[in-house]
Amino acid sequence: MIEFNEFSFRYREGAEPVVRDITLSIPDGCFVGITGAAGSGKSTLTYAINGIIPHCYPGDFYGSVTVEGCDTVDTSLTDLSRLVGSVCQDIDSQMVSTVVEDEILYGLENFAVPREEIPARVDEALASMGIADLRDRTIDSLSGGQKQKVAVASVLALHPKVLVLDEPTAELDPASSVTVFDLLARYAREHGTTVVVVEQKIALLSDYADMLVIVDEGRIRFADTPDAVLAHSEELLALGVNVPRSTTLMNALSAQGLYAGPTVRNVAGAAAALKEVLA
Amino acid sequence: MAKFLEYVPGESFLHRMNPCVKLIGAVLIAIACFVTSNLVFLLILLAAALVMAASCGLGRETAGLCKAVFAFSLILAVVILLTTPHGMPLVPLPWGYIGTGSLLAALTVVVRLMAAAIPLFLVFYVTKMNDLTNAAVKQLHVPYKYAFTFTSTVHFIPVFMNDMAGIMEAQTARGVEFDGSFAKKVRLMIPLCVPLLVSSVRKTNSAAIAAEVRGFNLRTRTSGYKDYPLHGEDFIAIAVCALVLAVAIALAVVG
Repeated sequence: MIEFNEFSFRYREGAEPVVRDITLSIPDGCFVGITGAAGSGKSTLTYAINGIIPHCYPGDFYGSVTVEGCDTVDTSLTDLSRLVGSVCQDIDSQMVSTVVEDEILYGLENFAVPREEIPARVDEALASMGIADLRDRTIDSLSGGQKQKVAVASVLALHPKVLVLDEPTAELDPASSVTVFDLLARYAREHGTTVVVVEQKIALLSDYADMLVIVDEGRIRFADTPDAVLAHSEELLALGVNVPRSTTLMNALSAQGLYAGPTVRNVAGAAAALKEVLA
Repeated sequence: MAKFLEYVPGESFLHRMNPCVKLIGAVLIAIACFVTSNLVFLLILLAAALVMAASCGLGRETAGLCKAVFAFSLILAVVILLTTPHGMPLVPLPWGYIGTGSLLAALTVVVRLMAAAIPLFLVFYVTKMNDLTNAAVKQLHVPYKYAFTFTSTVHFIPVFMNDMAGIMEAQTARGVEFDGSFAKKVRLMIPLCVPLLVSSVRKTNSAAIAAEVRGFNLRTRTSGYKDYPLHGEDFIAIAVCALVLAVAIALAVVG
């Protein structure tokens, strides 16, 4: 369970709090998508979960954030990292090794995973992200998408209870983005892992997330199921969140009293709903 | 062709050698190059280094390295030529002359730097960064933080070079012409050091955080998963390197 309780944070060099009055509960095993306009405070929320705030970026921290009962202020970054696996936005900086296998090994060695467990963990992590064939490749020879998968696999190998990913598909094409989310969702389901993803692609998030959190100017504007959040398409567009056009169309029809079904997230859903409306 | 100082996978003799032996051997050879001024001996070491590079399939990378070291050593060579009036005079100068001894000294500097640099750079091309770090920690008892800092520095060199190339490309797209004399290129590149520095500091900070959230502070001497046993060829290699150093010292004492 991750709990934000009246959490606000101002970076030391900033004049105003970047996030304010955040109160949110994320149950175990939940797949949460966080989105919002650039500079809205999405990444800061992930930093609060993995302890980067306040341990690496000092500032004024108000309220509390707890992960599995551990207060992120009182718990050291190292102890938090036993619970929370993090994939940063800047993948190149995250890589510490020259070869994929070594990158996966890095965390396992640090956390003193028993030697006899290590080969199986490496195999499992590579297989989970579908990159077993990249095992002996040098990091430099990988594409941006492959590096993203390696970064995620290196964290999955640690079997974290919570997985925090900051724009994991930033360098991926739409098809690869879907693949990464498929793999993540499957892994989270099989291992009961809580996943918190910051992502700009709201349509993609909606297909996988149990809870969608919309952040605007440091405050949570919506935190609900994707269907419930996407029902507010006009407000989302006003906040700078790019809602799928099929959703906007069906919501407009709904407002006119022409459609009364559930929120539509994609073109296929809209086509089916329109057939019903026109029938 | 691999980027500067980036590991190139392979199965050559040098690839298979113990990482610590590679590092120590390269350092011994580098010391030997600076101990002696015997040009023939230095030429033999340079030839041996080139053969070693070719044996690992790193001919192109080594040629690129030689070019860079040659350019740098040429500056030193010119300074020596102009300031060391030795041997039979060949070219008179207002403050002395360039002699046969000056030429020999300048040539020695060029060969020495190339012969010393190649083995050191080869170590990084034929050794995985993690192996180098872990072996140094396990076998040489170097504290992990220092070993990691050193290998991370090497790891980031191509990253920063890539960033610099990106910044230069962006400037070229905006009409800056980097073609032309060396002095002009340097003058145009100096202002670019600021964005490079900003991006480097940001990347280094991100890397430090990324390492920390993956348990960097928990690392101990025994954390490394792989072992790096010493084999017969490792002992032979280190003995040969020690012998090279001994010969260099002997030549320095005798000559």
